[in-house]
Amino acid sequence: MTPDLSVSLGGLRVKNPVMSASGTFGYGIEFTPFYDISRLGAVIVKGLSLEPTAGNPPGRIVETPAGMLNAIGLQNIGVERFIGDVVPRLEDFGATFVANIYGKTEEEYEAVARRLSVVPSLGAIEVNASCPNVREGGMAFGATPEGIAGLTARVRRCTGKPLWVKLSPNVTDIACIAKAAEEAGADAVSLINTIVGMAVNHRTRRPELSNVTGGLSGPAIKPVALRMTWEAAKAVSIPVIGIGGIQSSANALEFLLVGASAVQVGTANFRNPRACIDILEGMEAFFREEKIASLADYRGGLKVENTP
Amino acid sequence: MPVNRPRFVTGRILRNEGRGEIFYRIEAAIPEPLRFVPGQFAMVSGWPGNDPLLPRPLAVFRSGGRRGEGKIEFVYKVVGRGTALLSGLHPGEPLSITIPLGRGFDLGQAGRTYWLLGGGVGFSSVFPAAAVLSRRRTGYEMFLGARTREHLPPKQWTPGGKTPGRTHFCTEDGTAGYHGRVTDAAMERMCALSPEAASRLTILACGPRDMLKEIAVEALQRGASVQVALENHMACGFGVCWGCVVTLWDGDRTAYRRVCREGPVFDAKEVVW
Repeated sequence: MTPDLSVSLGGLRVKNPVMSASGTFGYGIEFTPFYDISRLGAVIVKGLSLEPTAGNPPGRIVETPAGMLNAIGLQNIGVERFIGDVVPRLEDFGATFVANIYGKTEEEYEAVARRLSVVPSLGAIEVNASCPNVREGGMAFGATPEGIAGLTARVRRCTGKPLWVKLSPNVTDIACIAKAAEEAGADAVSLINTIVGMAVNHRTRRPELSNVTGGLSGPAIKPVALRMTWEAAKAVSIPVIGIGGIQSSANALEFLLVGASAVQVGTANFRNPRACIDILEGMEAFFREEKIASLADYRGGLKVENTP
Repeated sequence: MPVNRPRFVTGRILRNEGRGEIFYRIEAAIPEPLRFVPGQFAMVSGWPGNDPLLPRPLAVFRSGGRRGEGKIEFVYKVVGRGTALLSGLHPGEPLSITIPLGRGFDLGQAGRTYWLLGGGVGFSSVFPAAAVLSRRRTGYEMFLGARTREHLPPKQWTPGGKTPGRTHFCTEDGTAGYHGRVTDAAMERMCALSPEAASRLTILACGPRDMLKEIAVEALQRGASVQVALENHMACGFGVCWGCVVTLWDGDRTAYRRVCREGPVFDAKEVVW
């Protein structure tokens, strides 16, 4: 028996719930030497802006216990080159792909969304309302329910594509933020982006990152991500996509158990370029062993009563 | 068939031994032999658990074996927690390796005289180039520098071959070979060359950034061509995290380029020192 792992993510039906997280998977093509990327539920490409973006000066990453801080600053090739050079290749590889978008202003988000909406093969648009490493845009929009609602509503009006909104964990009440995105027209929410952090050198007396602060990712953030996914899933009726520190199929299943419809795998791709596919295969094996017929039979099945 | 598309393999450690005072040499069995360009590198990990999380970039030192039975070797220096854990791994244990990565040295220029410069553990990146030049019977000279005698690469690792190059050892404290830095030794010799001979030089260098900067500036002034292998912190090693960028010249402007993808070997003229 082959378990049915397919799931609908706000209008985009994917064959399984394992996807790559934006910013950790390049434009997807980089992984084709390692495996067939069409096997993934979807590839979410690095955040795209209207114009090519140079990113932050060197001193962009530093390792921290069971994790890493990054302050890349959304270096990317821009939406035009993505459509011209990358999209045809993703189509050739047969990948289901989603564009993560970012702007310094709401108008820029709208322009990128409008431009991408005419790409027939694009599966969905994921609005990055949560990057902690740029001065304007990004997290500035994702920090309040009003900010997220305003941005979501404006992008919603520009696109008929499934609209996902990627949320920041750097907020007081994630349920409230997720709800604001839902009410403003999001078809799904994905969370979490990185947690703002900092590392300094006590001898040189300098920060480790040129940007001083950066975004924490990796296994270190998984408990926070799991809690926020659980809270968001209880608060909204649109699909929730869980992200944060997933390293194994067991980790991915934990997110599904607390209510996520799908997951994105991020930093694990750096350590093992085959991480997504290993997680997918592990998940399939789990469903077979446990004789679970479909994802829907497992998802959200957390038993909280009589918990010691 | 040797393969040179990047791949992720689980190797099995054959040996992992400390040599000299500070260097380790790790050898692993891998499914297929690897074809690599000197200067290319691998992302290597093998310690259990999530801390540290990321693999370590190591220059490919040697590869061999035959169909269905590859072998790969790396030389490393213990500089932090990751390499300390790496040095504690035993024969028989698995080693995760992504290979081959990045752009290596360009050894294809005709009519050139090659000088290879290795500072500290930088020799691990230039020795494979020396081996290729030896096989081609192209003459070369090698300058290897360290702070003190015990930190020089062990003699038995230094490549020879049918057309052995001349090797100059340098120590900053004068305990072996030339008393001074590797750049001083190379520049002294270069100053003795005619401008015409200097302009036929191709210098391949790997070592601390200060060393690379100095040799780049001085040798470029004398008309030599210089290729430098840069290092940086990396998360992925294959171009997707964008964490390892350095600043390069792009016409009269500058741009951030990935050490792992556009490098690690760059034309020294392109680097914003």
